Formats: sequence, structure tokens, C-alpha cells
Amino acid sequence: MSGEITNYVFEAMPHFEGYVYPNEATPQPLWSILIVLYPYITGLVAGAFIMASLVRVFNVRALEPVYRLSMLTAFAFLLCAPLPLLFHLGHPERCLEVMMTPHLTSPMAIFGFVYAWYLMAVLLLELWFDYRRDFVEWSNRTSGLKTVLYRLFTVGVTDVSEPSVKLDHKLGHILSIVGIPSAFLLHGYVGFIFGSVKANPWWGNVLMPIIFIMSAMVSGIALCVFNYMVLNWVRRKTIDMKCLDVMCMFLFYALVMDAAIEGLDWIHRVYSAEEGFQVMQYMAREKLFYTLNVGQATLGTVVPLLLLGLLQLLRKRVPELARRRMYFSSAVLVICGVLAMRWNVVIGGQLFSKSLRGVMSYKMEFAGLEGWFMGAVLLALPFILLIVMIKLFLSEQLPTSASLEARDVAAK
Amino acid sequence: MRPKFKIPPQVLRILLLAIGIVTSYSIARYFLTPTTFRQYGWYRGEALSELQAREPMFAGKKACEECHSDEMAKLLKHEHKSLSCEGCHGPGQAHSDNPDVKIDQLNYGPCVRCHEANPSRPKWLKQIVIKNHYTGSKCTECHVPHAPTEVP
Repeated sequence: MSGEITNYVFEAMPHFEGYVYPNEATPQPLWSILIVLYPYITGLVAGAFIMASLVRVFNVRALEPVYRLSMLTAFAFLLCAPLPLLFHLGHPERCLEVMMTPHLTSPMAIFGFVYAWYLMAVLLLELWFDYRRDFVEWSNRTSGLKTVLYRLFTVGVTDVSEPSVKLDHKLGHILSIVGIPSAFLLHGYVGFIFGSVKANPWWGNVLMPIIFIMSAMVSGIALCVFNYMVLNWVRRKTIDMKCLDVMCMFLFYALVMDAAIEGLDWIHRVYSAEEGFQVMQYMAREKLFYTLNVGQATLGTVVPLLLLGLLQLLRKRVPELARRRMYFSSAVLVICGVLAMRWNVVIGGQLFSKSLRGVMSYKMEFAGLEGWFMGAVLLALPFILLIVMIKLFLSEQLPTSASLEARDVAAK
Repeated sequence: MRPKFKIPPQVLRILLLAIGIVTSYSIARYFLTPTTFRQYGWYRGEALSELQAREPMFAGKKACEECHSDEMAKLLKHEHKSLSCEGCHGPGQAHSDNPDVKIDQLNYGPCVRCHEANPSRPKWLKQIVIKNHYTGSKCTECHVPHAPTEVP
């Protein structure tokens, strides 16, 4: 019995190899799964928004069928983005204190304002201008609670005359243009928070914000592809292949850029081989082998690059069903690959000692605040919100690009 | 005559909403910022006096010596002489005020806090790998913490 107790205590004691400072030998890193999810969810928001801006700002008409879906995706995920941080801090009721007495030199305090700006001044407003006419229409057409809800969303403005709707479009366009740098700011900021930790060679890197922005775009577009395909599958609708092809073309280009910049980062690390390089090599070979080499690099980047690249060349020769399957699997792989990337950044940066001569271990628990279950709940939450939003705001058949063209022709 | 310029209703509504949000933020800030904030720096000045007013948890080595002078004399002959009593036994103010309040009897935790092998500790500090050293549950089965060199 007593032997078992010792073994139990031994298992609970922190594990490490090599030279580790006593204060680093903790059972789990200070930042764990919740802090992995925070940049992941924020990245999905920024990516989904940039996907939507392709329609508004860059006038990619083929993507119009997913414009609203990607805006709602961005909105649902943005609402959940600060939750991991709140839970991680342990005293969620204190969250507003940082807004009441903001310190201008604190990156996290300023993030509160960046977040509020992006939510209130960009995303909500753009969605409102886009939906305003529909809200007025729906509030007249529906009955019961829904009418009250839609009427509430109109904020009392019922003018849907043509000049008024035109003004909505114009304002939405302007907001979209403001939104792109804001989305870059939102996620570049997350990269900045990590990149400015100069004591940590895994993080302290000027490329960090750019890497974060690129991977955010990749994951956001992949999420839109995923959502679009799943939504159409659930509704038993045929997928607009023109739209899907264009979406995946952008996913491919974003992935090329992302892979190039992350590759550049690694080439730079390998070639300059600074003092932290040995421990990083060890991390890549041992500690993060599955998440970095297998998850992030191979399954999350190389395989989707090959699949999507192949389809760019041979799009006409591959039958539709095979194409859809390839697109879907690339999107899922990219979504998982970017999650692995966030894991590698956040957890990887805390698995080696500041002495650069030892490594710690981390085994995630199932229950508890920083466990598997909590992570899964927090990842499922934005999807649940999105389902509610789709029920409320996208309940009609999604317009296809063909029907939109027909509408345009009719308008002319 | 030129038509009179009118702010479009949706813009007007958004402007009003924005003004409402900013105003409520300012009002909330006015009421929710603690009065002594920034008295000394970027924190609540009162926090200092509140901390000062708290009852001390630790009694200090002298208070222990008043009753346990025999243990103290033993301790002073050995390696652990520089350690504080409460460093291992935990805060003792309550026990010092009222001896009926029990203080922790130690067997394991505080020992491995210092003696578990870690290459970054100095060489003179005796270190063990628990699993190889002993699989029982208590260090105190063999060792006497107040006289660590007396027994193996």
C-alpha cells in the first residue's frame, strides 16, 4: 500500500530531462490548452472575415454564396474568442476591470480594445448593414417571437427604399475595407504577444505576427469551406462547384504563402543556429514530433498543398464527386493542422528550460479547467452558436452564384 | 433652394447607439474606478492598507523556541539549522496562540521539495531519485528531519 502511495506521488511529481531550473519543474505549463484555443479561435475569425471581404472588397462574385455564411462564422467564433482567456484567468468576473483601468503598456489590456473595436465597429456593423433590409422584411413576414427578435435587430430603422439600401451597401463596403486591416490587427496582435517574448527563442521572432496572420487566413478559409460543404450536405442541397472551386483556389494560394513563410522561418532558424537551436532540434525530433512533423507539416500543410495544387492543374479532368471529397479532406486537414500549429507554438514554447539544456513534459488531463473536455466544449461552442445563427439568419435556401447572376440579369 | 441635408436614419441610429455606448462606458468608468486608484501608481492605493490590516499567519522562529527549545537546540547542531520552522511545518500563528490547534506532522512533501534529484541544484545538497531510493510512504520512517545526519 505504502509503495503505491510513493508511486502515486512520483507520478504526480513533475517530469523533466536534463538541466531544468527548479521553478520550471511544474507538473504542467502555465499556459495550456485554453491558451492554445485562444489564438486558434481568433485566427478562425480573422480568416473567415478575410474570406468574406474577398466578395465585398475584391469583388470576387463567385464567392457570393458564402459571403453571409463566412460573416456569421466570423461572428460566432468572435463571440467565443475571449472565453478561453476568461476561463484561464480563473476569475471571469474581473474581466471588465482591465477595461475600466486600462494600462497602455499592457498588451492584454489593449487586446480588449482591439477586440471591442473589431466586434462592435467592424463585424457587427457590417453584418447589420448587410442584413438591415432583410430584418425589416422578415419582421413583417414572420410571426411570434421571431418578429419581435427581427424587429429588435432593425433598431427601429424601417426605411428600405432604394437609396437607403444603396447607402447600406456603400457603408458595408467601407466597413469591409476598414475591416481587413482590423482583422490583420486582431490576429497579428496575437502573434505580436508571442513574438515579443524575447527571452524565449521559440517565440521571440519578428516573423511571428506574419506567420499568425497567414495561418489565420488559411484556417479561416478552410473553416468556411468546411461549413459550406457541411451545411449543403445537411440541407441536401447541391454544392455550387464554381464557388467551391474559387474558395479552394484561394485556400491553395493562402496555403502556399503560409507554407513559404513558415518554411522561411525554419530555414532562418536552422541556418542561423543560434544558442537555442539545439534544444529546438530536440523538441522537433522528440517532444513535438507528432504535432509538428506529422500534424502541422505533413498532414496540415504538405498533403493539402499537394491535393489542392493537383486540383488547380487538373480541375477539369477530376470528376465532381472526387473533387468535392478532395476539397473536403484538405479543408479538414488544414483546420486540424493549424490547431496543431497553435499547440506547437504555445505548448512547445514552454516545454524547454530557460537554460536551453533541459526539457519538461506535459500530459493533458481529461477533466478540470485545462483538460481535454473543457477544450472540446470550448471548440464546440462557436459551432453551436453558428447553428443558432444559421437558423435565424440563413434559414432560406443559400443563393447560388447562378441564381445571383439570374437576378442581376433580371435587374438589368 | 437646395434640399436640406438630412442624416440618413440608419446612420443617425448608429451614431446615437455609438454615443450611448461611449457614454455608458464613461459613466461605468467613473463609478467603477476605485477611488484610491493611481494614489501611488497603477493600482488601488487602499490595497496596501488592506494588506497591512490582515492578521499574520506566521509566528516566526522565536515563537516556536518559547515552547520547543529542546527541538530547537537539537536542530541547531545540524544541517537544517538555517531553515525556518514554518518553512516545513506551515504557518504557525494559530498554533502559537492556542497550542490545541494542531500543526502539521511532516513525513514526505517538504523533504522532496529540496531533495528530489535535479541537476540544477548545487552538488553539496543531498539528492535522491525517489523511486530508486525508497518505495515506502514516509521519509521520517528512517530520517529525523531535525537531526538529518544522525540516521542514514
